This record gives sequence, C-alpha cells and structure tokens, in this order.
Amino acid sequence: MKIAYALIAAGFLIFIVVALVGNPARAWQAYLLNFLFFSAIAQGAVLFSALMHTVKARWSGPLSDVAESFAAFFPVSLILFVILFLGQQHVFPWLHEDLHGKEVWLNVPFMFGRDLFGLCLLYGFGLAFLYHRLYFTLKDRGASGPFGSWLLARWDQHPPDEARLASRMTVFGILYLLAFALVLSLVGYDLVMATDPHWYSTLFGAYTFVKAIFIGFGALIVLSSLLHLSDRNGYHVEENQFHDIGKLFFAFCLVWADFFYAQFVVIWYGNIPEETAYVIERTMAAPWNVLAWTVFIGCFLAPFLILLNRRIKTRPKAMTVICLAVMTGIWLEHYLLLGPAFHHDAQSIPLGWVEAAVGIGFLGLLAAAVISYFQQFPELLHGGDVNRLKVETIHN
Amino acid sequence: MPADTVSIMGIFDSENSAASAIDRLRETAWTIEQVHSPIPSHTIEDALEPPTSRVGWFTLVGGIIGFFGGFSLAAFTSLRWSLIVGGKPVVALVPWFIVGFEFTVLFAVFGNVLGLISQARLPRFETPPYYDERFSADRFGVLARCSADEQDELTRFFETNGAEINTDDKL
Repeated sequence: MKIAYALIAAGFLIFIVVALVGNPARAWQAYLLNFLFFSAIAQGAVLFSALMHTVKARWSGPLSDVAESFAAFFPVSLILFVILFLGQQHVFPWLHEDLHGKEVWLNVPFMFGRDLFGLCLLYGFGLAFLYHRLYFTLKDRGASGPFGSWLLARWDQHPPDEARLASRMTVFGILYLLAFALVLSLVGYDLVMATDPHWYSTLFGAYTFVKAIFIGFGALIVLSSLLHLSDRNGYHVEENQFHDIGKLFFAFCLVWADFFYAQFVVIWYGNIPEETAYVIERTMAAPWNVLAWTVFIGCFLAPFLILLNRRIKTRPKAMTVICLAVMTGIWLEHYLLLGPAFHHDAQSIPLGWVEAAVGIGFLGLLAAAVISYFQQFPELLHGGDVNRLKVETIHN
Repeated sequence: MPADTVSIMGIFDSENSAASAIDRLRETAWTIEQVHSPIPSHTIEDALEPPTSRVGWFTLVGGIIGFFGGFSLAAFTSLRWSLIVGGKPVVALVPWFIVGFEFTVLFAVFGNVLGLISQARLPRFETPPYYDERFSADRFGVLARCSADEQDELTRFFETNGAEINTDDKL
C-alpha cells in the first residue's frame, strides 16, 4: 500500500510540475493517455465477472473474485475524467480547428456531458452488479473487513428477498455488458478518434472496447497470478482455470488484431486520401512506423506464436510476463493513436519520461484502489466458490 | 497374446468406479490393455494419464501449409493475368493475407481430422476382443492382463471394485 501511495505521489508531483512550469500540453496529453489506458483495464476486468455470471460459467470462481476488485478504480476513474476538463485546451486539438459542421457534435459541453453521463451509467451498472454479487459472496463466506461487515450487518437487519436480488444481479450484469460496448465506443470516438477530427472510422468504437477487454483480461491474469504465487494469502487458482483464462486472453488477442485488420483492409481497398492519411501517418511514415511495428509484433505476432503452446498458458509466471508485455504494447498503441495528432511533423517519437512518470502515478492509483478493495473484503482471497448452483436455483 | 497370460474385462456401471479401478490397477503389476467408455470422460483420462496426443502437430503443420498454400494460390492466379487495378500491386500482401488466413483455417481442420484418424488408427473394421455392446450405451469397460496363475486374483480385484466380469473372448 505504501508503495502504491509513493507511486501516486511521484506521478502526481511530476504531472503538476510539468503541467505548471514545464510543458502543460505534454503533461495533459500523458494524462489523457493514461486515463484511457487504466480506465480500460478496470472496465475490461470487471467485464469478466459480469460476463461469466451472465453466461452462467462455473469454472471462473476465484478469477471472478479478483476481477471484481478492479471495480474499486471506477470512482477514481470518474474523478480523473472530471479533472480532464481542466486540461481541455491541450487534449482536444479540434478546439482550434474549423470543423466544417461537426461542431454540433464536437463541442466541449456536449462532449463532456455525454461522456460523463455514459461513464456514470457504466460505473453505476458495474457497482450495482457488484453490490448484488457481494451479497451472495459475503453470505457464504462471512465478512471481516470494515465495509464488508457493515454491509453484512445491514443485510442481517433487513434481509432482502434473495430471489429478487439474484434476478437483479443478472439484469445489472447484462446492462453492464451493453453499457460497456456503448460507452467505451463513445469514449473511443470522442477522446481518441476525434483528436484527428477529419478522419473517421465506423469500427473505431468496437475496436476500442475489444482492446479494453483484451487488456482487462491481461490485467486480471497478472493480478490473479501474483496473488496465486504469493504466500501471504490463501488465494489459489487451479491449473485448468489458468489454462482457460489464458485461452480467453489468446482469443481476444486475435479479436483485437482482427478488428484492426477489418478496418485496415477496407481503408486499403478504398484508397481515399481522407481515410488513408491517418493510417499512413501511423503505420508507414517515419517516425511512427517503428512504433506501429513494435505494437504489432509485441501485441499480436509474439503473443500469438507463444500462446499457441498449451503448457505455457497454465504457468502463472510465464503468463504474467506475457500479459505485462502485451499491456505495455497496448499502452504504446494508445500513444500511437494519440501522438501524431498532438505532434505534427515529429522527427522522432516524442515518447519520454513524462508519459512514463504519469503512467506510474496512474498505476499507483489502480494498485491503491485494488488493495483497499481487498482490505475491505479480505474473504474474496480465501477461496471457496460462490455457490452458483444456489444462486441459479434461487434465480430460476 | 502370450499363452501364459489372460485378459479379463471388468464392466463398470459408473464413470467414477471405472476411474478409481484404473487408479488402483496402475498401482499393481497388471497392465491395462484397453478402456471403453460410452462418453468422452476427463475423469478416466486423468486416471489413465495417457501420453500427450500428437494430433496438435498435424493441425499445426496443416495450418502452416494452408497459409503459404493459400497465399501462393492467390499470387499464382493473379500473375496469370497481371492486371493492375486501382494502382494496387499485382501481388498484394494486404488482401491476400485474408486468403492465406482462410486457407490456414481450412487446412488446419484437414490436418486435425487426418491426425485424429491416423492417431486413433481408424477405421477399425473388427470389433476388439472382449467388447460388449453396452460400452456404446451405459457401461464402462476396463480390460486388464495378468499372468495365468493370477486370474482369480484379478477377477476378485474387479469384483471388489464393483465390476461385472467378462472373460470369454467372443472372437
């Protein structure tokens, strides 16, 4: 926890210093990049739990428990988005451009309004789903953390109708899945695609949320592997569970590459300058092409070839390394999408310590949120499956 | 079959009793010759611990052949009539990657099926000895071999593990 706080402090300090006395544009652009990246991790990881509940999966018990802990980042992410309002001058290049009629959609009040509303909706559904799920988890395993025991005491005083709770949990789970697709698409269009306001891609939204699932599952594998390997808790994941989540991660590696390719091939065939300019600038012209190839090899080619192997997916240590590498790659990919819009005519890739430092600060925030969640609900690490059969019987 | 050994088929009516009998058999000196199951069973697979299947290699080789085959097919057919359309190269990498990909899937499937057939030594026209028709319905069979003087012991072993016994070789 102390380390997480130290990371937050360091990242925050560097961000403030750079934003105030150094290069405010650069600081805010790094902020946007990391906001998008770390929010996507949290949203994608929580998606795992909602998804597994919705499809009535029975294999994913301990992984779902860990996935839910990322929901603790939701309030933080919402506050971070509000703070982004202060840096609007630096992160929306279209503010200073003639938009040829697009200003009806692309103006600051409407954009912030709809994105804030969307995020509130998404996080609201996520937390509502979690609340209902915690009821069944805590009823089964008891609660020793302060917030957990408060919740349990409340439920003991006013016992809710379990059948209604179970059916509502499913409804909120499905709503979260739907909101995930819609809101992440919106955020992708508004905060990433619109940085180049004259370029558009209808698939960009879907690409954004598939990417979020990809890194969300990656983060889930990393966290559950670390908890599994650590001796300081009773958390345990079976080998075949690691194998299955590894397969899912592998599958989303393919889906991510497929969504990129599905868009790329259409633009390649059409060969319309207003569409190709964006792609050429990022994948074929120096200096960004180096970054594009790094991302392609690091996030698709290498993991694809490595993850073909069955045994490696069951090894938490190896998977941690692979997932961290892939997530670093996707972080670079975020930078690749945003960077050229902010740095026209760059001679070399302007990636440096500012982006990394702000990223470390955000990593600290995510870590602090997850750790404090486990402090409130330590029983989530004590194994035992949520009695899914029971939930289903109640539900049916 | 060597003359001084006999094979005995134990017929079990549940997956778990068959699996636990296999577990115990593996601790003895007797060898398991065959196991029949009406369903694909992970429990029995875990008990038997068979060597890793080689079918995956067939799939991989099929996939690799398919990728390059599909790509070459697209390149070959285009080069038959080198027509430049829309300023695109005749041998274009971007769209033919899709052809390559589709052929990867197709040939990986072919490889997989071939691997399955060859590794499972199909087709089999002869019914294996000691086979009981109920193995295709609701019974599990474990065929074990022991030396002739241990026949009673093995029979007793099967019976204590809850099996019926079938020793008469129908073929």
